[in-house]
Amino acid sequence: MYPRILIRKLKPNASIFHRSNSTAAQPLEQSKTNEEIKSAKSPLDHPDFFQVHNLFTVKDLFGARVHFGHKEGSLNELMAPYLYGSRQGHLIFDLDITAEHLRKALNFTAHIAYRGGIICFFNRNSLNAHTVEKTALECGEYAHTRFWKGGIFTNANHQFGAITRLPDLCIFLNTQNNILNQHTAVRDSAKMLIPTVGIVDTNCNPNLITYPVPGNDDTPAAIELYCNLFKSAIKRGKEARMKFLQENEENT
Amino acid sequence: MSSWIAITRQLRQTKVMFSRNICRSNICHSENVDTNSADKVGGFAKAYEKQSHILDVESTPPPTFASLLRNSKLVDLGDPVGKIVVGKIFHVVEDDLYIDFGWKFHCVCPRPSIRAEDYVRGARVRIQIKDLELSSRFLGSSTDLTLLEADCKLLSLVSSPVKSSEKTT
Repeated sequence: MYPRILIRKLKPNASIFHRSNSTAAQPLEQSKTNEEIKSAKSPLDHPDFFQVHNLFTVKDLFGARVHFGHKEGSLNELMAPYLYGSRQGHLIFDLDITAEHLRKALNFTAHIAYRGGIICFFNRNSLNAHTVEKTALECGEYAHTRFWKGGIFTNANHQFGAITRLPDLCIFLNTQNNILNQHTAVRDSAKMLIPTVGIVDTNCNPNLITYPVPGNDDTPAAIELYCNLFKSAIKRGKEARMKFLQENEENT
Repeated sequence: MSSWIAITRQLRQTKVMFSRNICRSNICHSENVDTNSADKVGGFAKAYEKQSHILDVESTPPPTFASLLRNSKLVDLGDPVGKIVVGKIFHVVEDDLYIDFGWKFHCVCPRPSIRAEDYVRGARVRIQIKDLELSSRFLGSSTDLTLLEADCKLLSLVSSPVKSSEKTT
């Protein structure tokens, strides 16, 4: 439906890159034409091109029970910086920190969707598996909520029998496989240089995840909120992409 | 010595009273001035002022997370053990009722024998919390093992969609 591979044509007046840290006595001169000024305003130059900060507020996160963590006994020490405190032995996330991380993750997701990347959702919690699969279907992306075979990423060409294109982004709605183990795909994505976005709870390890989002990953309400947010971000990225492609077609 | 202390205390009190009286008289004076100027504006003008701003939405600053948490029901609960809350049944598996009461986890309770047919999905029930999360440290492990469930006792039925449909028919 959406063309994945974006063919960029080389502009006739390619701008010479300004070597800001060069040891040359005088910097190279740049002649800026109108085309170069337009190309400089690419989505990557904006801190929030897709306006993802409008998608949610801290109150929405609170209402979806994102701030609830597990008990103190199952805390992973690496998650301690993301906590607000502990209430009667139950840990509470600091939603201001969560909001900042979530904005970065949504921004990244939207950019990946803008560039036509394949996004794969992961969730091994059977309570929310259907929600995640439905979300993936609605935004035209992929989900894997079943048993994960060992070499799907690391031995893809052999397992699928043909040259396989791996996802460009893995979104983990739950980074755990079961209570005891982390999902193998977290480690395998890191091995295959696939960026990951992951909702990390108090008992999860955020180390290997590129854009961790500290928050509740057990309540269906929270998972639904995350799914809706990621779906909106992906849709925004894709709409911007369609607009860009149409503009390109009109120009050529 | 004690009499000296008593005298100083009295002096302090009178000083306070004096300052209070002075302040009050100042305020009274300023209020009089305000009312004098306000009286000059007519009744219709006052009403017009009020009505023109009656639909204005006061832009309040967004609530901070700290204030949301402080005014949340979790904090109102205090020590959750033994507290009675109202939950809603969201799933039924034969005789097991999965009840969601606004916490991170749901609880699973067996169906009671009295009014068994009223406990359906969507029914609101009263439950008593025994433990908000069934997790404990087992010998030899470095972290707790959680069951991802709360432990509650089912007390009574608050409302049921089955009963309401009976009332309409």
